[in-house]
Amino acid sequence: MTAVTLGTARRATWRGLAARHRGLIVACAVFAALFLVVDLITPGPFNYFEFNFLSAGGAALALAAMGQTLVILTGGFDLSAGAVVSLVNVVLASAMGTSAVSQIACFALALAIGGVVGAFNGFFVAVVRMQAIVVTLSAMFIVQGITLLVMDKPGGAIAPEFVAFFTGSAIPNVLPAPVLVLLAGAVIWLLLKNSRFGVGQYAVGSDPDAAYAAGVPARAVLFAAYVIGGLFYGAAGAFVSAQTGSADPLVGRPMLLQVFTAVVLGGTRLGGGRGGAIGSIVGAYTLMIVVNILLVLNVSAYFSSIAEGTILLLAVLVGSLNRRSPIAFYLRLARTKLAARVAGAQASRRRDAAAAPSLPRGASIATPAPVGWVERNRAALRMVIPAYGGFALVLLIGQMTFGGTLDNLGYYNSLLVLSSFLAILALGQGAVILTGGLDLSVPWTVGFVGILTSGLIHGNDPIAIWAIPLGLLIGIALGAVNGIGVVLLGLPPIVMTLAMNGILQGAALLYCNGTPSGFASPAQRWFMTGHLGGLTPVVWFLLLFIAAATLLLGRTVFGRRIYAVGNSPLVARLSAVRVGATLIGVYALSGFCSALVGMLLSGFSGQASLGMGDEYLLPSIAVVVVGGTLITGGRGHYLGMIGGVLLLTALSTLLAGTTLPNAVRDIIFGLVVLGAVLALRERRA
Amino acid sequence: MRWFRAACGMAMALSVSFAALHANAADKKFKIFLSMSYIGNDWQAEAANMVKAMAASKDFRDKVDLQVQVAGPNAQKQIQQINAMVQQGAQAIVVYPISPTALNQVVRNACARHVVIIAYDAEITEPCAYNVHIDQPEAGRVTAEWLAKKLNGKGNIVVLTGVPGTSVDTQRTAAAKEVFAKHPDIHIIAEGVGMWSQAVARTEITKILTTHPWNEIDGFWVQVGCYTIASMEKEAGIPDDKLKPCAGEGANGHRIQMLPVGSPGVEGASGNYRPMGQPSISYASPPYSGGLALKLAVAKLEGKDIPKLTKLPLPVVTNETVKLCQQGTWQEMQQGCNVFQPKIIGNPGWFASIYSPDTPEIGLQAALNGKPEQ
Repeated sequence: MTAVTLGTARRATWRGLAARHRGLIVACAVFAALFLVVDLITPGPFNYFEFNFLSAGGAALALAAMGQTLVILTGGFDLSAGAVVSLVNVVLASAMGTSAVSQIACFALALAIGGVVGAFNGFFVAVVRMQAIVVTLSAMFIVQGITLLVMDKPGGAIAPEFVAFFTGSAIPNVLPAPVLVLLAGAVIWLLLKNSRFGVGQYAVGSDPDAAYAAGVPARAVLFAAYVIGGLFYGAAGAFVSAQTGSADPLVGRPMLLQVFTAVVLGGTRLGGGRGGAIGSIVGAYTLMIVVNILLVLNVSAYFSSIAEGTILLLAVLVGSLNRRSPIAFYLRLARTKLAARVAGAQASRRRDAAAAPSLPRGASIATPAPVGWVERNRAALRMVIPAYGGFALVLLIGQMTFGGTLDNLGYYNSLLVLSSFLAILALGQGAVILTGGLDLSVPWTVGFVGILTSGLIHGNDPIAIWAIPLGLLIGIALGAVNGIGVVLLGLPPIVMTLAMNGILQGAALLYCNGTPSGFASPAQRWFMTGHLGGLTPVVWFLLLFIAAATLLLGRTVFGRRIYAVGNSPLVARLSAVRVGATLIGVYALSGFCSALVGMLLSGFSGQASLGMGDEYLLPSIAVVVVGGTLITGGRGHYLGMIGGVLLLTALSTLLAGTTLPNAVRDIIFGLVVLGAVLALRERRA
Repeated sequence: MRWFRAACGMAMALSVSFAALHANAADKKFKIFLSMSYIGNDWQAEAANMVKAMAASKDFRDKVDLQVQVAGPNAQKQIQQINAMVQQGAQAIVVYPISPTALNQVVRNACARHVVIIAYDAEITEPCAYNVHIDQPEAGRVTAEWLAKKLNGKGNIVVLTGVPGTSVDTQRTAAAKEVFAKHPDIHIIAEGVGMWSQAVARTEITKILTTHPWNEIDGFWVQVGCYTIASMEKEAGIPDDKLKPCAGEGANGHRIQMLPVGSPGVEGASGNYRPMGQPSISYASPPYSGGLALKLAVAKLEGKDIPKLTKLPLPVVTNETVKLCQQGTWQEMQQGCNVFQPKIIGNPGWFASIYSPDTPEIGLQAALNGKPEQ
C-alpha cells in the first residue's frame, strides 16, 4: 500500500519536473537527434578529436547565449552581446603579453569589459527605467565604435598558453577544456538560479509588478542581470580570442542573431519568466551542428540557407507538437465551432438574451469636465516627442555645420526620399512589434520581391502594371505564412521569421542563379528619382502613406485589435478579439511593406541586387523603438516611429557629409539614440 | 530496455553500412571542399560559379570531387565547417575566409593533418595557408594616383569606402589617402560607407549630395559605386562630356559607361547602362581567383610546388584600354577585351574582371552559369 502511494507520488513529481523542464528536454532531444544523424553518416567512430572540435565550436556562442538568457529571463533584451565579444577580442589581442600574469590579468580584463558594458546597460534599464532594447542598441553602437578605435582591421595575437588553456584538453584524451569552461558556466548559473537573485529574476520576468509587490528588489535584480550577462559575454569574448588566436573587430557582430536563436531554441521564452541557461547551451550547439549536417548531407550552396531555415523550424516544431500545442487548440476550436453550427447553438443565434445592457433609470452620469487635446494625448506625446526633438536638433547641427540646409527644399526632399524605405518598413515592423513579435524576414522579403519583380519587368512599363501588384501579393502571402507559423504552429516569431529569411535568400539565389538580371521600369525609376510639383513623386506618396498608416493603426478595428493583442492576448481573446487572425494580418502587413520597399528600392537603384535589404533589418527595429514603441508590445504610435525614421535618417545624412572616421560615427549614433530617448523618458509615479 | 538495445544495434549496423558506402566511393579523385562565407551578394555568387566551372572543366572533372558549402557571415560557423571538412577526409580546402585571422587556429590544425588550405580573394594570415589575391594597397594607390593626375592635383573629392573593419577596406582606403595627402590641393570633403554595394552607394551618395551639391564635387574615389554615380549624374541632367572622374569598381555597367559615346557594336544598352565616356579607372578583386585557387590546390595535391602567395595582377581598365567583347570566350578576352555586351549581362553590377591568362578553362559562361569553356 505504502509502496504504491510512494510510487504514484514519485511519478507525479517526475511528471512535474518533466513539464517544468519541457523546453530543456526537447532541446536536448533535438540536439541528440541531429548529433546522431551526423555521427551515423560520418565515416569512422566519434573520437576524442571530434569531441574536442565540436565542443570548441559552439562554446563561444553558448557562453554568449547564457549571458543573454539571464537578461531575457528578466523580460529584457540585450543587443550589445555581439559587440562586447568583438571589443573583448580586440582588447585582448592588443594588450596580452606572454607572461602568465598578463594572461590572467587579460582574462580578468575580459570579464571587466563585459561587466562595465553590462553595468552601463543595467544602470539605464534598472535605475533610469529606459527600454532595454533602446539602451542596448545604443550600447551596441558605442561599443562597436570603440572596437574600431582599438583596432581598425583584423590582427594582433593571443598568447599560445591562453589558447591552449581554453581550447586544449583539461584532461588529455578525456575532457576537452571547452567542456570544462561550459561546466563552470553551468555551475555558476545553477548557483545563481537557486540564489535569491535567481528567484527574483524569474519573478521580475514573469510579472514585474507582482514581484515588486512581493518585496523583490526589482531594480537590483535587473541591474545584476545585465552585469552578470555582461560577464558571460566577456567570457565568450575571451573564448573567441583563444579559439581564433588573434582578433577581428567584426567577429562578434554576426553572432547576435544566433545568440537570440540559441536562447529561443533552448526553451527560454522571450519576454521573460520561463527558461534557463542550460537550454541555451544546448541551443547553441544545435545551431552549430547544423553546419555539420549540411556538410554530411552535401547540401549545395544555394540550398544551404533553405536547409538551415527548415532544420531550425523542424527543431522547434518537434518540441511544440503535443496535446496542448496551438495547432491542437485551433483544431479543437474548429471542431467546437462546427458542432455549434450543426446544432445551431452559436452565440449569434441566441435571440433570447438581452443584446444591449442598459443603465438603471434615474442614475445620473457625471459628465467629466472637457479636457484639452494636450491633456488627452499626453501619454502619446511623451512617446512621440523625443524623436522629433532629436530630429530638430540634428537639423540645427546640420545647418550650423554645412549651412544652407534648413531653408533648402532639395534637402528635405532627399531626406524624405531616403526616409521612405524605413518609414514604410516601420509600419510593418512596428505593427508586428506592437503585438509583441519581431519580423526578421524583412531583408530577404525585400530582396526576393525586388529581384523577382525586376526580373519579370525587365524595364518594361506594361509588365510593371501587373508585376507590381503581383509582388505586393507575394509579400502579403509570405508575411501570412510567417503569421500562420507563429499562430497555428506556435513558433516563436524570431525563429519563424529568421527561418523564412533564410528560405527566401535561397529562393532568390535559385531564381536568379546568382546574378539578378532585369531592370526596374521607367515609371518605377521616375517614381523614385523624377520630379512632380517640385518634389520627388515618392515624397507625395510617402505623405499619403503616413496618413493612411496613422489611420490604420489608430482609427480602424484592425488597429485597435493590434494594440489589444499586444497588451494581453488573453484579455484580447476574452474580449472577442480574433487574436490569431489579427496576428496573421500583422505579419501579412509587414510582408506587404517589405515587398513595397523591395520594389521602391529597385526603382531607386534602377535594378535589384542580392542582399539589397540587408541594411534595413536593424534600422527597421531601431526606428520603431526610438519612436517610443514598447518592444514587448501594446504601446506605440506610428507618428512616433516616423519621428524615429526622420531622426536616424537625418543623423546618418549629416554624418555621411563629414569625413569623421566610422568608429566615431558609430559612437555618435549610439549617443544620439540614447540621448533622444533619455530626454523625455517615462517617469513612474 | 530491449527497444533501446535494438535501436542501438540498428544504429551500429547503419553506421557500418554508411562507412562501407564511403569506402566504396573513395576512388582516385581528390576530395576537395569549398568553404564560402556569405553567398547573398553578386561577387560571391559569381566567384562560386567560376569555382564550380573549374571543377567541371575537361582537365579537372575526372580528378576532382568538389563539394561546395556555405558558412554564412559568422566566423564561428566557418571554423566549425572547416573542422568538419577535415573530419570528412578533405585533401584540400578552398576557402573564402570570413576573417583573415579568426580561422588561424583551425587552419593550423588542418595543416597538421596534411590538408592543403588555400584562400582566395581575402587572405588567411596563418603561415601554413596558401593565399590567392590582389595587392590591396596597390589597388588603392594606383586608382588614387590616377584620380589625382586626372584632377591635375587639385579639387574636392568624395570617398566611398567598403565594409569598415575589414583588412581589404582598411588597406585600400589607407593607401589611397596616403596618395591624396601628397596633394595638398586635393580635399576629401565627404566620406561615405559604401559596403561594396551599388544599392548602398546610391543611398550614401544621395545623403552626401544633400550637404555637398554636384557643383562642389570634382571627382570620386570609391570601392564600388561609379556606375551608380554616373547614373545619378545623368538624372541630375549633367551632360555626357561633363561627367566627373570616378576611380572605382570593375562592374560591367561601369565599364560600358566608360566606352566612348556612340561606341559601335554595343547591343542591348538602355537607360544609363550605355556608353557615355565617363572618365574613369576601373579595378576589382577578380572573381576568377576561386577557380585559380582550386587549380593551384590540385597542382599541390599532384606534388607540384605552389607559392605561398599568388599575387594576382591588378586588373586595371582605363578609358584608353576598355574594349568590348562580343562573345566573352577566354580566347577573345586573351586578345584584350574586358567588358561584355549589355545584351548578355543583364545586371550592370556584375563583375567583369574574369580574365586570367592562367585559367583558360573558365570564361564568361563559367561566371554566368558555372559552365567551363570545354
